[in-house]
Amino acid sequence: MGGHPFLADGVDFGDVLLSLVMVVAAFVICLVATMLMVWFERKVVSRLQNRIGPNVAGPFGLLQTLADGIKLFFKEDIIPTRSDRFVFQLAPYLSLVPAFLTFTLVPIAGDFSGGNGSSTVFGREFYWQVADVPVGILFFLAMSSLGIYGIMLAGWSSGSKYPLLASVRASAQAISYEAALGLSLASVLLVAGTLSTHDIVLGQAGSLQTLNVVATGFVPFVVFLIAGTAELNRPPFDLVEAEQELVGGFHTEYSSIRFALFFLAEFMNTVTMGAIIVTLFFGGPAPLFDFPFIDFPHAWWMGFILFFAKLLVFLFIFVWFRASLPRLRYDQLMDLGWKLLIPLSLGWLLILGGIRVARDGNIGIVDDSIGDTIIVLVLGGMVLAVGASLIMLANRNARSERLRNEGLVAVANPDLGTSRAADHATTGPPGASHDTAQVGADH
Amino acid sequence: MAQYLPVLALLILAALFAAISFVASKLLAPRRPTEEKLAPYECGIIPGREPPQRFPVRFYLVAMLFVVFDIELVFLYPWAMIHRELALYGLVAILIFSALVFESFVYLISKGALDWGTLQVSRRQHNELVGSQRTSSSTIRRVGGEGRFEEVVRTREPVVTEEAAA
Repeated sequence: MGGHPFLADGVDFGDVLLSLVMVVAAFVICLVATMLMVWFERKVVSRLQNRIGPNVAGPFGLLQTLADGIKLFFKEDIIPTRSDRFVFQLAPYLSLVPAFLTFTLVPIAGDFSGGNGSSTVFGREFYWQVADVPVGILFFLAMSSLGIYGIMLAGWSSGSKYPLLASVRASAQAISYEAALGLSLASVLLVAGTLSTHDIVLGQAGSLQTLNVVATGFVPFVVFLIAGTAELNRPPFDLVEAEQELVGGFHTEYSSIRFALFFLAEFMNTVTMGAIIVTLFFGGPAPLFDFPFIDFPHAWWMGFILFFAKLLVFLFIFVWFRASLPRLRYDQLMDLGWKLLIPLSLGWLLILGGIRVARDGNIGIVDDSIGDTIIVLVLGGMVLAVGASLIMLANRNARSERLRNEGLVAVANPDLGTSRAADHATTGPPGASHDTAQVGADH
Repeated sequence: MAQYLPVLALLILAALFAAISFVASKLLAPRRPTEEKLAPYECGIIPGREPPQRFPVRFYLVAMLFVVFDIELVFLYPWAMIHRELALYGLVAILIFSALVFESFVYLISKGALDWGTLQVSRRQHNELVGSQRTSSSTIRRVGGEGRFEEVVRTREPVVTEEAAA
């Protein structure tokens, strides 16, 4: 069922003490990880842009974030006159607290290569995560929804145009991608059969086939990664902070430590999202597969090393996205979320479910379960194709309706090729005219 | 419920951290408010109007659609957890349910509920000698797409509703 064994049978003083130690440790890890993440992002982005990046405060500029944080303590805190004072002051809490709480779910260490990932201290058996709550991974969805309140209310209470626009955008974007996030998560739950993050990791340990990224067929992972990036409001989905259009985004009016807390929450969410992806799809602290020749030490810190290595890959990918992808336009953002990711992950989930039911021999179209699985696979592919063409048809219908309303008509003009080819023959470069004349001749 | 104990502790700790930060900032930071500083920041332009109170109705449509999909998720999660026990019956039930949701989703798309922004069209140029340079009538010229893009021809004046005309 999951859950810390030491909390399962009544709570005494020692249990509370152990919980507190874990909580404080997690708190410190969160803050340090965030600090390092900011440094990592600045350093990697600057390297990708052929700059040096922070290099003055501390070795390799490691303490730059700390210096920035301390500086922000000494800056004047401004609450604009037009703002709603109470909500304005409340919003940073609503943003920061869920960011911390999501991290409680992530198993960061433990021996999963043979062991069950638990360690014992003073006769109390615990897992290397702050909490393994009964609702498990649903808690992550709840917290990511709550985090949106912080952004929404921050923009709304600022009493200024651009933050308000940003927060409306942010909430529309977040709820759009949350559906895709939830649907791809459902595929993981389908395969794992449990909500507890510890059990999800335990189920993935052992071999490559049991890793959820393989077991769910890769597509849910891609959807989750994209939707997760959008949920974080990170580039290329950072329309919330599009500085060309919105000044500074939802926190334009925030200054001093209030701004710092939003910033902290944002980067903490990035780290946590990477950790959640690692947990759900790549087995967290469990080894990717059984290494054939080398026998790694079966200790909790081996799990931590594996987890950290995997996490680093995803953090680098997030930074890489930022350095290389241009920001999406708003309609592109909505199209990607609603018309591609949501239907895709829904269809994938149903096919996955169908295959698994067929493999159990519970469908009975033909006599053996392999035949059933193949039939389900073919049918599923056909359903996916029909669904995709329905959406394309609907899209085309919507477009022609809009064209009609604006007094325009779309024509697939057969003589277009020739007339344009003639254009090119007179204006285009000599080489191009030959090609376009060919196209014209085909018509 | 004991499993929630660490979560609760971290919640309190995080809230305390934020609160202490605010207090520290209050003690350390200067406070010299002026009227200009406290005005909404709009890159130096003096804000003339109140921020808008009404939003494009599309945002509400998205919110409603989200509720539909969230409710679908509420049903999908339990099925995902016990799909083995429910076997064929559960699969068929969830397929029918998803088909119904998908059908209304397609209807919404075809009604343009999820179309955002301006219409992306390429207007036809009537045998003008248009170079690649910008002109007063055109800033962009598509080349190489002959016969591939659908071309758009203006056939009549745009539909002007009475409200818009008024």
